[in-house]
Parts: sequence; structure tokens; C-alpha cells
Amino acid sequence: MPDVSPPKSAALRAMYWRSEILQVMYWLQGEGLGDVVDAPLLERFLGVDASNGVTYLDRLVVEGYLIRQGEWYALSDTGMAEGATEFAMAFSDLTRPAHGECSDDCWCHASVEEAEACLAGRQHDHHHDGHDH
Amino acid sequence: MRIVDSTVLPRAHLRVVLLLLLRAGSSHGYDLLEETRRLGMRTAEAAGVYRTLRALELDNCVTSWWEPSQSGPARRTYAITPAGEFALAEGIQELDGLRRSLNRLLARYRDMDRDG
Repeated sequence: MPDVSPPKSAALRAMYWRSEILQVMYWLQGEGLGDVVDAPLLERFLGVDASNGVTYLDRLVVEGYLIRQGEWYALSDTGMAEGATEFAMAFSDLTRPAHGECSDDCWCHASVEEAEACLAGRQHDHHHDGHDH
Repeated sequence: MRIVDSTVLPRAHLRVVLLLLLRAGSSHGYDLLEETRRLGMRTAEAAGVYRTLRALELDNCVTSWWEPSQSGPARRTYAITPAGEFALAEGIQELDGLRRSLNRLLARYRDMDRDG
């Protein structure tokens, strides 16, 4: 990503790439552009060097998010659910409406995860003011 | 001398192209990719569209949400924001400036050609 750098810590870096990889795979699948990725494809999408990309992909296989098919990797059911959540979380701060801005096409109608996040936010922010949604 | 296809819009303008397309209405990644190619950026790839859309979203120029599908996985729908409208206007102004500069350069060349 142009404006975001991977974290310095190895553990945080692994989490960062897990999130980025699952998001891009979920997006590709939604667009009908492909159900599988390989390391060179990841390099084009995320800028992660292909040799490092393979390491992250294999780690996601071990963690149960991906299924390996030769040189290609596909999302498992767990990976699919996680990809959706990661994508929703990545932009939740940008898309979350301020108090009183919620409408029929609010972001929170887009998925269960986003609806739950919106509900939690509203309970926290507007507990006493009867915010109707 | 290497002859390039001068009708291909350089990829550096992808940001403006995507904002322009989204100004016409919200859309999905794949459709934006197809429209981008139709607008002259024939070498545009899905990866570039994905990265640019995410960068635009981080800059608050674009907003997006999941659109559930009956037949398959959810698709991300993208829309332009007021900040995106502003960025588009700036981008178009820059392109207009570039066009004027290119016109001056071409006019100078043609003048030389005509004067021998």
C-alpha cells in the first residue's frame, strides 16, 4: 500500500500480512477475478516480495485460513470469514457515521460484522440519547 | 526509435480516472477496471485498481461497503466522497495544465516545421 508500511516487529508483521492477504483474496473473489492466488500475484497487489509472500501464504495454510493447491492458495471457510471481517475493520473508522448520520444505506447494513460493530459503537457512544437507526 | 502506443493513457492518471468514473455513480472493482480500460488505460490491471482504490479510501476520497450477493461472495461497492470530488477537480485542473503545455510544445514544433 502506498501510505502504509508493514510493522517492524515480526509478530505484528505476520498479523499485518495476514490481514492484507486475506483482504485481497476476499476482494478478488467478490469481484469474480479469481479464487486462488500465488506469490507473484500477491506481489503485484500488495508489493510484498514474492519470496516473502510464500512464507506468509504457507503460514496462513498452517493457521487454517488458506488451502494450498500446488503453487496456488485458496481461502478456506475460516479464511473467507476472516477476510470479510478484516476488510470491514480496515475502513471502519473511515466509514463509520457520526451521530445522526446513519441512514438506510449506512455501512452497517453491509455485513453482520459491520452491523455488530455499529451496534457496539452506538451502545457506547449514545447509550442515553435514544439514537434511532 | 521505439514507437509507443500514444493512445494509451499513462497509469499515473489512474487515480483521476477512478474518481471520474465514480463521479458518474457507485461501482465495483471489476466494472471500474473494465471502464478504466475503455477510457484508454488499456494496460490497467486489477492490482493497480485495488491498490489505488484503497489509497483513495485511506485519503477519504472514496468510501466503500459490502454488497451482499445471492449467487456468490459479497462485492465491495465504491463511491466518491466530497473530498474525492475536490481531489478530482484538482486532478482535472492539473491535466488541463498539462494539456496546455503539450499544446504549446506541439505548436512550437509545427511552427518550426512550417517555417522550414
